[in-house]
Amino acid sequence: MTDKLLVILQIAGRRCALSALDVRSVIETGAITPIPRAPAWIAGITALRSQALTVIDCRRAIGVAGDWPTDHRAAVITEGGHSYALLVDGIEDITTAAGEVGQIPGGFGAEWSRIALGMIETMAGPALLIDLPALLAGPEDIEAAA
Amino acid sequence: MDDLLAEFIAETREMLEATGGELVAWEADPADRARLDAIFRFVHTVKGNCGFFDFPRLASLSHAAEDALADCRAGRREADAALVTGVLAIIDRIAAMIDAIEAGEDFPEGGDDALIAALDGAPEAPADTPLHAPAAAQLGAGEEQTATFRRSDQRTIRLPVELLDRVMSGVSDMVLARNDLAHRLRQAGNQPTIDGPFERLTTILSDVRDAITRMRMQRIETLFGALPRLVRDLSAELGKQVMVDLDGGDVELDREMIETIRDPLTHIIRNAIDHGIETPSARLAQGKREIGLLAIAARQSGNTISIVLADDGRGLDEERIAAKAVATGLVTAAERGAMGRDKILNLIFEPGFSTAETVSNVSGRGVGLDVVRQNLEKVGGSIKVASVPGEGTTFTLQIPLTLSIIAGLTVDAGGQRFAIPQSYVEEIVQGSARALDLTRLGETALVTFRGQRVPCLMLGEVLGLTDGEAAKEPTLVMLRLASGDLFALAVEGIHNHGDLVVKPLAPAVMRSGLYAGSTLLDDGTPVLLLDVANIAAQHALVSDTRTRVLGPLAEEADAAADNASRAMLFTDFAGRRSAVRLELVQRIETAPVTAIDRSAARPRVVIDGLILPLIGLPDTPLTQPKVRLLRLSDGACELLYAVREVEDAVELTQPLAPVPEDPLAEAMTLIGGTPVTLIDAHELFARHGEAPQAAERPRCTLPEGEWARAILGPLVTAAGYDIVDPAEAGETAIGILFEDVYEVAETLGRPLPPRVIRLRDQPEAPAGAQTIYRYDREGLLAALAAAAADAAARAAATGEAA
Repeated sequence: MTDKLLVILQIAGRRCALSALDVRSVIETGAITPIPRAPAWIAGITALRSQALTVIDCRRAIGVAGDWPTDHRAAVITEGGHSYALLVDGIEDITTAAGEVGQIPGGFGAEWSRIALGMIETMAGPALLIDLPALLAGPEDIEAAA
Repeated sequence: MDDLLAEFIAETREMLEATGGELVAWEADPADRARLDAIFRFVHTVKGNCGFFDFPRLASLSHAAEDALADCRAGRREADAALVTGVLAIIDRIAAMIDAIEAGEDFPEGGDDALIAALDGAPEAPADTPLHAPAAAQLGAGEEQTATFRRSDQRTIRLPVELLDRVMSGVSDMVLARNDLAHRLRQAGNQPTIDGPFERLTTILSDVRDAITRMRMQRIETLFGALPRLVRDLSAELGKQVMVDLDGGDVELDREMIETIRDPLTHIIRNAIDHGIETPSARLAQGKREIGLLAIAARQSGNTISIVLADDGRGLDEERIAAKAVATGLVTAAERGAMGRDKILNLIFEPGFSTAETVSNVSGRGVGLDVVRQNLEKVGGSIKVASVPGEGTTFTLQIPLTLSIIAGLTVDAGGQRFAIPQSYVEEIVQGSARALDLTRLGETALVTFRGQRVPCLMLGEVLGLTDGEAAKEPTLVMLRLASGDLFALAVEGIHNHGDLVVKPLAPAVMRSGLYAGSTLLDDGTPVLLLDVANIAAQHALVSDTRTRVLGPLAEEADAAADNASRAMLFTDFAGRRSAVRLELVQRIETAPVTAIDRSAARPRVVIDGLILPLIGLPDTPLTQPKVRLLRLSDGACELLYAVREVEDAVELTQPLAPVPEDPLAEAMTLIGGTPVTLIDAHELFARHGEAPQAAERPRCTLPEGEWARAILGPLVTAAGYDIVDPAEAGETAIGILFEDVYEVAETLGRPLPPRVIRLRDQPEAPAGAQTIYRYDREGLLAALAAAAADAAARAAATGEAA
């Protein structure tokens, strides 16, 4: 686990990490076609070559409101046979993990705990390791379950 | 039929290969239920397919094996070594027969009965002759078999589907790269050295794309084509009369999917004919038509294909199914009590379920339906059954299109583009809200379409993009659902239609129920494909019964359409959108550029042998080989208006604003929100109109001599005459003669043309002379015109008399 490569992202002002193996590429986001009547955390679809990507606004998908800057680049991931582009505040760096995934007492708060696998130490400092399936489930499932 | 046979052979071979492993395992452990089931399905399928092809020996062998295996499954018999041996022998024999069938040879007669008898463990089976090669040897023989396979003259190959997928997505990427390049080339301007090869690349690419598309897709017709025969044979065998009605054969789907549904479909048809449809006498007794109807329809809905098989037979018996399910322990009596009719009916898809009281050669013992469901679920499909006692049974199969290309229409709503599968589109209607009789009733809207009140959904409203205010000039896409229901979808505009590659959407997006997938336009923009069936269902527009008609209102609709004046909308060569009142437009002509004569000050064009004035041409030479022309007429005169593009007939509903500075414009108006110049017909005809000139021009003979040919000739030609040789002149030609020649001829009694124009050499006319000075241009032209009018009048009179 120590040599694991991580992509460091800023989401809603927090440092988060994705396993570099999950990130297929980082693209410049072109025009995003909005999807009417889709949940708010789905920003739309965009094209990557002949493929359509579902664009996810990670801030909204986590459920943290606020006015954050958005990077002009997006991380492309594949989950369950579908490809997504993740809109984040910023894509910072690729670095290696410096420790195992761990939990901290008190948790990360309800929204963040739902999408986090745990805290991971990296060369760039501690980051929250994101659980992609949980992120892509969107915030409303929690509300529905509650 | 040869194709089908080849399919049958290939399929049976494939199954034999797959069963090979099962055989070994089963031989080792005859009690293994899963292996038993797999082998059972194999013989069952072979039996089914043989019935289709008339291979009685194959059929009897597989039927016997199936019987024996069914006994094992039902627990009536132990799977002992003798049985295993017997079944394996039969499978070997099937493989050998298949080889013989493919080679077109006759398989040696006899031996089948011994094999069948061996199944029953009959002692007379010669124990010393091995009936089958040991399973291991059989596997070894597989290689040899493959070798035979390769040796035979193969014009087709089987490829893994993933490979095709990869090629396909590669080609899609290539097309997008080409589009990008095309865009950049346009920006860079004309570059002859690059444009040529680029054009070639484009052509090649589109060919390749077509071929690749066809590689994977097949019309469901290929499957449907075999059904009438199957139905005929089955009904004849069972003493029933069944008519089959096929619809939607042009639905295309993945070859692989067609293969997957082939068996399920055949199974259901067998069941319908065997168990569903009654005998002719029973039908008559119930007041039904003697001939049963089996309707099979395929319809594409977004990225699923639904196939509906409906028979008008006796329907499913809920009580019997429930009783059977309880008896076989599928459900408990208590569970049964809590189940609705639908749930009970759908028990027929449970493994090991059957209601047939007698086992027949045709539909077997209900094994079909559990296999059917299993096969469909394997590919992500589903099957449902609905039935009304005494009226019939309907099976609905849903099959996904993992990768599909559908014909689609792109439309505008709320400033965004969406795609609609073409298969739903019945018609596109454009017009004012008034002509369409768009009325709001409560929250819903209705339009009148061909005298029917049809519910109308505003796409912008459905998608939450607009606040539901109906557009003044909506474009209606009339959509027909698989159930037969018709509804209108109001959109803001229609773009083009074409083949769309549909890709699945993320589950979170699918949950909205509005979209069936996404697709990329040629420029690479993603577009959402609407799930028409689901949108209609969400708005409760799907009725249970077919085709709901809300009452004919034909006259009203006609009356409404008459009120607004209409105009033909077009774009002229200056790129200006213009319109001309529809009453003026006689028709739209397409003329080759060669028919256009631009030598004179006013261009002319020859249409139907008439020379007509032509306006609207650009100043630059025409590059295209053909020109679209609007043929306008004011009743007497005709003229042609060259246009770049004819758009559509539209209604003039917006106020007309006069344009005094442009004499050729009657007014400006808004059509579809953009300004359009309405051409002033009065001014147009005043300026350019002329009566059609017959291309058959009046003829004229000239006096002899250089002067006549060189100086008089052109003038006469310009006046619209053809100059002919006096020898060929004929009755109608006008003669131009010098006075002296005329006098001589008259005096000598020589034949003269019926109409003559006499010329004199002196400017001053002698008193009472009917001659014209040879340089009196006006006088000559007037005389020629008068003569031509006279000739035309006479020709018309002759024409009428005739």
